[in-house]
Amino acid sequence: MSYLSEGFIQGLGLIFTMNEEVWTAVITTLKLSFLSMAVTLALGIPGGFILGYFSFPGRRILRIMVDTLLSIPTVVVGLFVYAFISNRGPLGGYGLLFSIPGMAIGQTILALPIVVALTASAVESVDDRLRLTLLTLGARGKRLALSTLWESRHQILLAAVTAYGRVTAEVGVSMMIGGNIKWHTRTITTAITLETGKGEFSTGIALGVLLLGLSFVLNWSLAALRRRTAS
Amino acid sequence: MMRQAQKTGTAPLYEIRDLVCAYGDEPVLHIDRLDISSDGPTAFVGHNGSGKSTLLKALAFLLKPAAGTIRFLGNSTEEREGELRREVTLLLQEPYLLRRSVFENVAYGLRARGATDRLAERVAEALEMVGLSPDFGKREWFRLSGGESRRVALASRLALRTKVLLLDEPTANVDEENALLMARVIGEAREKWGTVSLIASHDIQWLDGVCGRRILMRRGKIESISA
Repeated sequence: MSYLSEGFIQGLGLIFTMNEEVWTAVITTLKLSFLSMAVTLALGIPGGFILGYFSFPGRRILRIMVDTLLSIPTVVVGLFVYAFISNRGPLGGYGLLFSIPGMAIGQTILALPIVVALTASAVESVDDRLRLTLLTLGARGKRLALSTLWESRHQILLAAVTAYGRVTAEVGVSMMIGGNIKWHTRTITTAITLETGKGEFSTGIALGVLLLGLSFVLNWSLAALRRRTAS
Repeated sequence: MMRQAQKTGTAPLYEIRDLVCAYGDEPVLHIDRLDISSDGPTAFVGHNGSGKSTLLKALAFLLKPAAGTIRFLGNSTEEREGELRREVTLLLQEPYLLRRSVFENVAYGLRARGATDRLAERVAEALEMVGLSPDFGKREWFRLSGGESRRVALASRLALRTKVLLLDEPTANVDEENALLMARVIGEAREKWGTVSLIASHDIQWLDGVCGRRILMRRGKIESISA
């Protein structure tokens, strides 16, 4: 067991001595997750709201499709995105393979069903009295819809955190689309996979600690935000 | 047209003819004929399931009748529900507070109606009517007791100064102080803005002090009307 404790101590040393390799993977992870989450939330919240709020033909089947995509394996997404953006694929000319935007496309495909499905559920499960209250207070049309969305904001925030968890924890898409290129597309998770394979536990542990730290900071910030927006 | 009817006061507040309301395929309310005047508060009494709450929702234009007509101040209400909801407002038996501050809860309906002139003043007035100070407006929705939530919900309706205030079981689970406050507010709204209150309640003793006219309902129908 000593190699574990030694690895942990060495890992902390790498973090505090600002090891460049470790911190480059952290920065790449932050850039990538920011990009993929921005696109996911911009598309997913309106999409989920439409799915949960409005009745339209094909809504049920669309809902089943979105729910099915919740459990799509990351390597399958990686495979399809690779096929599209590789040189022989229809989007091959855009130079997306082995790039952060290319990886973000894959991560968005992974995270989008989570945000859409959970936002739709949040809107569907609002208190029955909310609609009556908004209507009797005089809300109509756009105001009625936006107020319903605003009343669901805490559950939507939870959807965003869940999607972020999926994005930062995945390996398949980052490995297949990004190629795990040092100083360029290597993320925390792909670096952990590589370093552990090489027997470099200390680097893996350092990155693991940082990944947990990032999640903690995010959740703590959201909890604080939730307290502030509760009023 | 509506303004003229309101001004002259010739038409009853509501004229109900052959009204049927249903949830799904099951009819829960059937009223052949009922006129409700704007002379003063009217009470709907009856057992649970007698159709009181359903009738209030229909009168608030929140429930589309399955058949029949409701005329409001002499005018047809068909396809005009959104517009007419600005003339009436309903306080549910268990009011829902928006997840916002007390001020924003009370101001919401005014903003929705575009009545933003002297907004703070109107919110403060409504809060004072229900015995809350304007400073209470800063309080967050989740920091309110049950009684305070009910008062805030009532204030949010009072601020609108509607022609009709529909109250569903306003004294259910309410202490004596709040029941008295409710009775006082109904009178005050009538004096200040001519607001007519229509109240569904089991609390006969309380209604005796508030409403002159009483409509007894049973199994979705009007059983008797007493003045």
